[in-house]
Amino acid sequence: MIQMFHVYKAYPGNPPSLADITLQIEKGEFVFVTGPSGAGKTTLLKLIFCAEKATEGQVLVDGRNLVRIRDSAIPFLRRNVGVVFQDFKLLPQRTVAENVAFTLEVLGVPRRECRDRVMRMLKLVGLNHKAEVLPIRLSGGEQQRVVIARALVNDPTILLADEPTGNLDPALTIEIMDLLCEVNVRGTTVLVATHDTQLLGRYPKRTLRLDRGYLVSSQDDLASRRWMAAG
Amino acid sequence: MSVLAKTTYFWRSAVRGIARRPFIHLVAVVTIAVVLFAAGLARSAAQLVDSLLVAIGGDVEVTVYLKEGATESLAGEIASELASKTGGSAVVVPPHAAMERLRGELGELGDVLNDLPRNPLPYSIQLQLPADRRTPQVLGPIAAEARSIAGVAGAEFGEEAVARLSSISKALRYGGVVAFTIIAFATVFIISAILQLAIYSRREEIEIQKLVGATARFVKAPFLIEGTMQGLVGAGVAMVGLWAFSAVFGPRLLVLFSFLVRPGDRVSLLAPSLVAELLALGCALGLGGSFAAVGRFLKG
Repeated sequence: MIQMFHVYKAYPGNPPSLADITLQIEKGEFVFVTGPSGAGKTTLLKLIFCAEKATEGQVLVDGRNLVRIRDSAIPFLRRNVGVVFQDFKLLPQRTVAENVAFTLEVLGVPRRECRDRVMRMLKLVGLNHKAEVLPIRLSGGEQQRVVIARALVNDPTILLADEPTGNLDPALTIEIMDLLCEVNVRGTTVLVATHDTQLLGRYPKRTLRLDRGYLVSSQDDLASRRWMAAG
Repeated sequence: MSVLAKTTYFWRSAVRGIARRPFIHLVAVVTIAVVLFAAGLARSAAQLVDSLLVAIGGDVEVTVYLKEGATESLAGEIASELASKTGGSAVVVPPHAAMERLRGELGELGDVLNDLPRNPLPYSIQLQLPADRRTPQVLGPIAAEARSIAGVAGAEFGEEAVARLSSISKALRYGGVVAFTIIAFATVFIISAILQLAIYSRREEIEIQKLVGATARFVKAPFLIEGTMQGLVGAGVAMVGLWAFSAVFGPRLLVLFSFLVRPGDRVSLLAPSLVAELLALGCALGLGGSFAAVGRFLKG
């Protein structure tokens, strides 16, 4: 479960990136975080995997208060939170399998077990036939699927995706979104930050709408659709 | 989770890191090798200076003066007592021999001594100790003990000269340690700057490692292994350099510095203790450099 209570995040000399955010995301939920550029979507995700710390307020992930977390405890939190980026962040000189295995190497998983788990995950994202290919040889959609495989290979309870379809064409966008929905059905809490309103229409899920750092609505899927229709 | 798997990963990652950026690591290895080569030469030079001090110190001895009226047999007894107590060699100098020596030392002025009504010089004993015991700390108590023997009028050993030699030796030794410490710090700084380039070129990898839950220790480990390997290779290169230097220039240097080296002595540039020291120093420099570099990168 993810909880935020009156959270502020401000950078010196700038208006707050997030202001008075209070929200709760249940375990196993699929939630969109939306809003225009600069609304604070990425900052909100960063607070959840401790890339940033809140200036004020409390952020709780599975009962752990991230405002008071020690730096040495952050890596252990991140092993439970998978992250997917718009710009992929794949290592170009490593093969698809090696990129996915990267997460397991950090955990010290023995090589044989590592290979089995990587192949299983690549099969899930439909890339088992491209395990030995370098990322540069893949399409944008395939690269994003590798990133999702890397984020999920150690079975995290939460998956954060920051504009995962931002660089993809409509067909690949659907491919990736279907994959994220499938991951969610398997029990993982999924948060997707996007400014693509068409995506929100196609996938009726709970939507957190941010505007200039404020949470302006936190609807369930029905209310979200009404809001979309009105907007 | 397996410690073996992590260890294997660290070594694989370190070797991969070196293989991907050989030039950066070559520069680091050469830097370490040059510093260690210079340290090895300095160490050998220090050995030569020690030989010089021992050679000069060879002239230092304790002179024990007996009271007026002492007999030759008493002088002999005291000489053998001193020799057995100190482990040195004691020679009795009779008054006439002392007078002859004084006359010789005075040269043309020696004729003045002919005007003396009688020989005023007493029996004396010249006590020489092994080279490693010719220090003020050893000679002082021996002279004091000699003074307390019945029949002895006084004892001296040229305190000033011995103290000065010891000070020179100490200053050279401490100066060498200080100079090496400064050079070592400078080297660690240079190595860390060089390695920072290698680390910077792997920043994406480090960023992803941190995102997927790698601890700081996990990120550092391969770089520390790289640093240690560089240090060991650098020490190896320095040793090969010293061996080659010794083979090419050693015989000529022995001739050049023959006045410092006692007959039969050899100044070795690659003594076993030096090999161990160079390996340890190489490890320390490489490890220190990589530790500073990766620490600075992770903090930044």
